[in-house]
Amino acid sequence: MQRGSTLGQVPIETTGHREAIDNVRRMLGTIILGKDDEISLALACLLARGHLLIEDLPGLGKTTLAQALAKVLGLSYQRIQFTSDLLPADIIGVSIFQQRDGQFEFKPGPIFAQLVLADEVNRATPKAQSALLEAMEEQQVSVDGHTHMLPRPFFVVATQNPSDQIGTFPLPESQLDRFLMRLELGYPSEDCERALITGSDRRSMLSDIDAVIQPVQLEALQTAATNIHISEPLIDYVQALVRFTRESPDIETGLSPRGSLALVAAAKARALVEDHSGVFPDDVQAIFTVVAGHRLKPASISAYRNPNELCRHVLNSVAIS
Amino acid sequence: MAKRSGTDGSLLHSLPWTLAALTFSMLPHIPFLPVWITVAYLGCAAGRLQIERKRWRLPAAWIRMLLALICFIGVLVSYDAISGVGPGSALLSVMAALKLLETRQRRDQFVLLFISIFLMMSALLREQYLWSLPYLLIALLLTLTAWLQMSTSRGAGARQAMRNSARLLLYAVPLMLTMWVFFPRISNPFWAVPVDTSSSISGLSDQMSPGDISSLSLSNAVAFRVRFDDVIPEPRQRYWRGLILHRFNGRTWSGSEPTIIARDDRPVEYFGDPVSYQVTMEPTRQHWVFALDIPYQWSLPKTIIGQQLELMRTQPIDQRTTYSAVSYPRFKLNADLRDYSRRFHLRLPEGSNPQTVKLARDMRAAAASDEDFVDAVLRKFHEEEYFYTLKPPALGRNSIDEFLFRTRQGFCEHYASAFAVMMRAAGIPSRVVLGYQGGEINPMGNYMIVRQSDAHAWTEVWMQGKGWSRVDPTAAVAPERIDAGMSAAMFGAAGASWGLVAPSEFLHRMRLTWDAINETWNDWVLGYGPENQNAFMEWLGMEKPDWQKMMLTGLALLVALITVISVLLVMRYGQPAKDKAAVLYRQFTEAAGIDPYLGESPIAFAGRLGKLDRSVHDAASEVTERYLAARYGPPSASGMLKLQQSVQRFLREKRS
Repeated sequence: MQRGSTLGQVPIETTGHREAIDNVRRMLGTIILGKDDEISLALACLLARGHLLIEDLPGLGKTTLAQALAKVLGLSYQRIQFTSDLLPADIIGVSIFQQRDGQFEFKPGPIFAQLVLADEVNRATPKAQSALLEAMEEQQVSVDGHTHMLPRPFFVVATQNPSDQIGTFPLPESQLDRFLMRLELGYPSEDCERALITGSDRRSMLSDIDAVIQPVQLEALQTAATNIHISEPLIDYVQALVRFTRESPDIETGLSPRGSLALVAAAKARALVEDHSGVFPDDVQAIFTVVAGHRLKPASISAYRNPNELCRHVLNSVAIS
Repeated sequence: MAKRSGTDGSLLHSLPWTLAALTFSMLPHIPFLPVWITVAYLGCAAGRLQIERKRWRLPAAWIRMLLALICFIGVLVSYDAISGVGPGSALLSVMAALKLLETRQRRDQFVLLFISIFLMMSALLREQYLWSLPYLLIALLLTLTAWLQMSTSRGAGARQAMRNSARLLLYAVPLMLTMWVFFPRISNPFWAVPVDTSSSISGLSDQMSPGDISSLSLSNAVAFRVRFDDVIPEPRQRYWRGLILHRFNGRTWSGSEPTIIARDDRPVEYFGDPVSYQVTMEPTRQHWVFALDIPYQWSLPKTIIGQQLELMRTQPIDQRTTYSAVSYPRFKLNADLRDYSRRFHLRLPEGSNPQTVKLARDMRAAAASDEDFVDAVLRKFHEEEYFYTLKPPALGRNSIDEFLFRTRQGFCEHYASAFAVMMRAAGIPSRVVLGYQGGEINPMGNYMIVRQSDAHAWTEVWMQGKGWSRVDPTAAVAPERIDAGMSAAMFGAAGASWGLVAPSEFLHRMRLTWDAINETWNDWVLGYGPENQNAFMEWLGMEKPDWQKMMLTGLALLVALITVISVLLVMRYGQPAKDKAAVLYRQFTEAAGIDPYLGESPIAFAGRLGKLDRSVHDAASEVTERYLAARYGPPSASGMLKLQQSVQRFLREKRS
């Protein structure tokens, strides 16, 4: 392991952070083409110690992004393909009786990885989904009365097909907000798609790349993110946004205090990624849609059916202080 | 032509509120409105709600026109008039009912809510009781809530809307108080609304027949309230003199008109210590102003003193009126009586009540003097079988004869009438006085209540050397009535023997307490007229207050208050105080030539600005960068300095 086991004692050079972040972004950009903003947001999500939900149609590179993140950040990686017959034990693991020493031995499931890709999480039954979500929340799993700590850092990147597709169990609102961000990738631009077609296979590229940073450095980056300066006027702005979501007739349920904490954490991480000296209003605006979008419920009478439009409406209605 | 499309249910959440507000404002009018209007309103309200619920169509324009015409004619027929409080509120109610039938969008409900406010105002024209204030405040709160409900698209926030309306009302309170205190009061404002004369008021009328006053004796209604400055006279001295009647037709006394009596010289001399007091009269729609005996001074404009020294106002008292007066307990009235006057006060109708006339002449012949004769008659009432009762038997044409010789039961008017006739028959000038006798001290407010049941009739006889003096024959028959007063006698055995039914003591005390509270309200709020206002202004230090000064002061105060309230509101809801970086950045955006959009971030703004004007692109980016660092980054003195420099550079570049 590295020198200095606890983070507080490791002297961390800001320039080192800068370099590390730029390298990670550059490396991810070579694999996921033309999605620089989404890459920044995904990185910010992990730096804010948040879990990421990627929601889009199949084939838009959700899995590739998750794999690339694990690879570039040097994290151990497991993929769980969620299906309708997936059981909680398939995620967490099982205790198996060992003939040899007459005891139960815990066989860890795929959740015991630093970055877990929960692919097509809405295809599994609510039971399996909650096993995953509990693990995300607690950072540990309990099997047969024994508590097993999950590795650190621990991230879940879940992907989900938009819920209007057949045979899915969309995550309920209460569980959606376990995810710090919900990203949509969207179609690539024509140039990027051309580069994708003419370029080499993404899977082979993934196996070729090396980790850019070590997990310890990642944790240092996470600490740096929480230490980003946040000014009074910016807190005012966040509060004004939150208040607006609670008072607007277009929104049925506004942001919860957990929602405001998520906004601040994500904005700080984004400020770190963007190399801002403090959290700027732009950081809040940049993460607002992905952080608040899945936490807001439009009112039935609202003209804004789509969470993205709703979030834009909120941002366009609240003055920056 | 109105579009004929079905309703879309969008009013479902605001319409019930509007209806509630409207109904609440209409409620005080309903007892006074013809029943068909209430029915029409309820029908329209229920119908409109159902239309919205079922997404039906609204009635066609021609149906609404027809209904409007019918209702207008209905009001005209019901009231025979179109102006005044009654027809006015009826028209408002009908308009509200019909407007419901063409309320298509949210904003159509504005009209309904305006009508609701008008209805509240007209309720105040009708009556201003103490409880009207909280009631109308609730109605106002409801109307404001309906207003807010209508203005937001969400129905769920009713409690929030109510809280907001309460807050709005609270902001308005200082403004309201200022206007109330300073708006110049005029004694007869041009905006005074003609009083609804259709409803009847009980009280003394300008003539007296047997049975007139006894019919009042059961009325608990207040005639007037009196506050004495220091001494409160004994009950037997409390004769509130009102009308003087001198013409008798054998049954009815009349002739209160002041002008027909010849002027007598030096009518009155006053003795003893004066009694000063304030009277607050309830409206009577009559001209009579009541004072204790003979008033010496009084403070009521447009009031004259008649030849018999009774007070009269040149216009009827149709609202609560307060005046102060000074009376002397002893006086000598018309020590000399001219022949004309003397003859006038001796007239009796030819041939009526022959027995009484004969009896009087016999008794006078038997008496040594006029005084002895008066005593003899009073003794007769006292010692013979005469009864004082609230329910005297009916009398015919020769009422005095029938009363004196047959029925022998009467109320004060019977005794006063009989006594005056006997005096006249015996050659002593006499007349009947109508007024109130007694009054009850309200221990809760330390003032006196004189009720309609205290109405009384007595006589005045003229004797050489003494002038007109008061003789009350009722005192000879029922001394308790005079010594204790009607209200006190009510609880005694005497009252029961007259036919009075006493309420429970507790109820009576409650009534007195309520009256005291109301009296305070009347004194302090409703009684704030021109005089009180002038006095209050002088107390505030305004010299010679007139309406211009009050108006100016009121306006100045209003402006000041609105400023203070606005500042408070801005402090509460407005932008927080800007720090230095924000001030500098504001200079930059103002110089930039374009304004940032609401919610536009500094970086986005700089981008937009740079795209519009390439030449300032770099300078704008620099300002933005430094502003963000200075304002949102970790605090540093140099950051602010750098921002200042770059803003100044931007301003310079922009100028050149």
